[in-house]
Amino acid sequence: MEFNLKIAGEAGHGLLTIELGLTEILARTGYHFFATKNYMSRIRGGHNFHMIRIADRPVHALNGNVWEMILAFDEEAERRHRPTLREGGILIDQEEIRQISQIIRHQFAEPMAVNTVLMGIVLSAIGFDPARLADVGLPEDRRTMLGEGFRYAGGKKLSGKYLIKSSLETFLRFDGNQALGLGAILGGCQFMAAYPMTPATSIMNYFANAAKDLPIHFEQAEDEIAAVNMALGASYAGLRAMTASSGGGFDLMTEGLSLAGMTETPIVIMVSQRPGPSTGLPTRTEQGDLNLLVHAGHGEFPRMIFAPGTILEAIEIARDAFDLADSLQSPILILTDQYLADSIQTVEAEIPRSVSHRTCRAYDETYRRYALTNGGLSPLTYPGIGKALVRLDSDEHDEDGRITEDLDLRVRMVDKRMQKAKHMTSLSRKPTFYGNPEAEWILLSWGSNRQIVEEAIWHLNEAGIAVGALHFSQVYPLGPEMIAAWSLEQRKVVCLENNTGGQFAALLKRELGLDVLYKILKYNGECFTVEEVRERILAIMEVKP
Amino acid sequence: MTNSPYDIAWCPGCGNFAIRTALAEALNELDMPPQQIVLTSGIGQGAKMPQYLETNYFNGLHGRSVPLAVGIKLARPDLTVIAVSGDGCMYGEGGNHFLHTIRKNLDIAILITNNQVYGLTKGQSSPTTDRGVKNPLDPQGNPNEPLSPLVLALAMGAPFVARGFAKEKDHLKELIKAAIRFEGTAVVDILQPCVSFNKINTYQWYGERVYQVEPTADRFEAIRTAESWQDKIAIGILFRDEKHPVRNVRDLFPRHTEREDVERLLHLYHA
Repeated sequence: MEFNLKIAGEAGHGLLTIELGLTEILARTGYHFFATKNYMSRIRGGHNFHMIRIADRPVHALNGNVWEMILAFDEEAERRHRPTLREGGILIDQEEIRQISQIIRHQFAEPMAVNTVLMGIVLSAIGFDPARLADVGLPEDRRTMLGEGFRYAGGKKLSGKYLIKSSLETFLRFDGNQALGLGAILGGCQFMAAYPMTPATSIMNYFANAAKDLPIHFEQAEDEIAAVNMALGASYAGLRAMTASSGGGFDLMTEGLSLAGMTETPIVIMVSQRPGPSTGLPTRTEQGDLNLLVHAGHGEFPRMIFAPGTILEAIEIARDAFDLADSLQSPILILTDQYLADSIQTVEAEIPRSVSHRTCRAYDETYRRYALTNGGLSPLTYPGIGKALVRLDSDEHDEDGRITEDLDLRVRMVDKRMQKAKHMTSLSRKPTFYGNPEAEWILLSWGSNRQIVEEAIWHLNEAGIAVGALHFSQVYPLGPEMIAAWSLEQRKVVCLENNTGGQFAALLKRELGLDVLYKILKYNGECFTVEEVRERILAIMEVKP
Repeated sequence: MTNSPYDIAWCPGCGNFAIRTALAEALNELDMPPQQIVLTSGIGQGAKMPQYLETNYFNGLHGRSVPLAVGIKLARPDLTVIAVSGDGCMYGEGGNHFLHTIRKNLDIAILITNNQVYGLTKGQSSPTTDRGVKNPLDPQGNPNEPLSPLVLALAMGAPFVARGFAKEKDHLKELIKAAIRFEGTAVVDILQPCVSFNKINTYQWYGERVYQVEPTADRFEAIRTAESWQDKIAIGILFRDEKHPVRNVRDLFPRHTEREDVERLLHLYHA
């Protein structure tokens, strides 16, 4: 069983408050849910809608079918969304919301009380036991408002209309950016400098709030160029450091990325994509910046790029990025997008809790930051530790870190830096396979589409249509050993991405010589839904090449 | 630490030699272990300064010496952090960083070797080139007003603002010492004759104009003093405000986030 709710209206109606309030109660009472939003780049007005899918099993995507319930706060919301309501579903329109406000106006002074009453109606519709509100830890007045909702729903015979059972446990809830923020903290990151940009800002919010009580610093930089340089300065000085932005801000960081490559300074950079080019659609989703990250920065230097597909992956990848950045003395990039950033989900898996950190070794006066070693990695230490002087240079440099134009040494230094690419290959994160391992058809995806595809594939296999799927949470570098187990060259390969040309498909061809036969692409700024993926792959499977 | 065995890339007679000696002597006399000092620099002839001194350094990108210094100081308040670069680097490419870093008032020193010309790229206008000066990219003469860096620093609220002259080496050394000792952001603009590309603002040109001033705590008086350029150029500490609150930086190194902290975060934001 599942229950799909859409909350639609203008910015300023309190739609987000309803989403956050409901998801908080649901997580604390053991309901599985997935919530995401479709909003405009404005503070007030316009048309936004928030979607919550509640189910008796884990759900991590929008199903893309009809909606069991719609709260429509204005005429536009009603006009746009009424056609998507399930037959016999619950529509609470603008007029009814007004009437409810009238009923409760003497009881509650708070002007937005009606939103909490609406939350009560929603909870009643899924058969939520009002006695459990006591466990949720809400203030008395909010409980009373919710109670009004239950009473109203009872009067309208809506109670338990779409009964969803809760599990006995309680769940932690995360959006994608919170997961990256927590992951960074678990990775021992103690410094972040950044400049606000949607949809990366909530990573900064998380970090800045965590910093209040932890040995962590957040610095709002004057621009993204400063942000990446501050992070590199902090990393050089001894703290694990990161920055984050969206594509446009990352554009400004690319000289800093190249600086990290040349000076071999560990850094983690998170890029939360939105549709471009230029300002594009600031609050919508896309996977259009893969090429940018693969090629960003002048000159040649190795890098790794990850693209988490689940909350747990986001936590783990962000955490491990800091160990990788240190051990490889290289930039590690994490690519996410507005869809994952703005989706709140229950996490059924165990959340890791242990924190890793840098080990720091002291050296004597003979220390050389760029000592040539077997394997290409020089000893790393920080200023003011022991007798060593730590000298970094953006120019080509000798082992001491002094400028050199000795061209033989230049070649040795380039080779030393590029050797790290080999270590990266050996540390690669393998793609995840699901679905039918014998299937002729394989659907490839990367980043945030993982769980949408996973559910679509499950439905297809349940219906007797054999399909497999391979999801990449590491998108660069790509080595043949990452896909060797799946004999993709003998299967029919489809690649699904949120961009116009299939950037990942092209990268697979370039790096692995893999031919993708079909692409499923979407670039209107909205995420895929399970139903959409199912339909599009079915359409492809019926068309023979 | 005054002697560097390295091949110095400056032209014979360059003002940077004396600045290097003044900086090296200042660091020596302050008696700080070189391991505790970090110099950051950008790109340009002045930005090569750290190469020829025995300290830690991060010689970064053009214009970015200051955000590197900010990151280092925020991470390690125990280190003495000095950003040193030329006028093109600090006031041109890095102008935005210069503005906003002053607002932070971290305990760092910003030294600018100001020769009023781009040296390494061979003679183009810098932000401080006088109006009308002809050069390869301004063959009709520089059409722009020169930036008055110390007026800008004072307007941004810098608590310590000084000007030195490469030829007055001992005076400069004392300025640098005072700047490093000062608790807060200290800006020192250093008149640095460029013998290859600036035939106007020569040792003699500066020498005929400079005069020494005593520090004031009156910002408006200091702005008037800093403004004077064509006839009289003040050197010395133009402004010093000891009461200006320096930004407090927490010691984060080598502390770590603990498991209990993570439990608290999970409870606060995710339960």
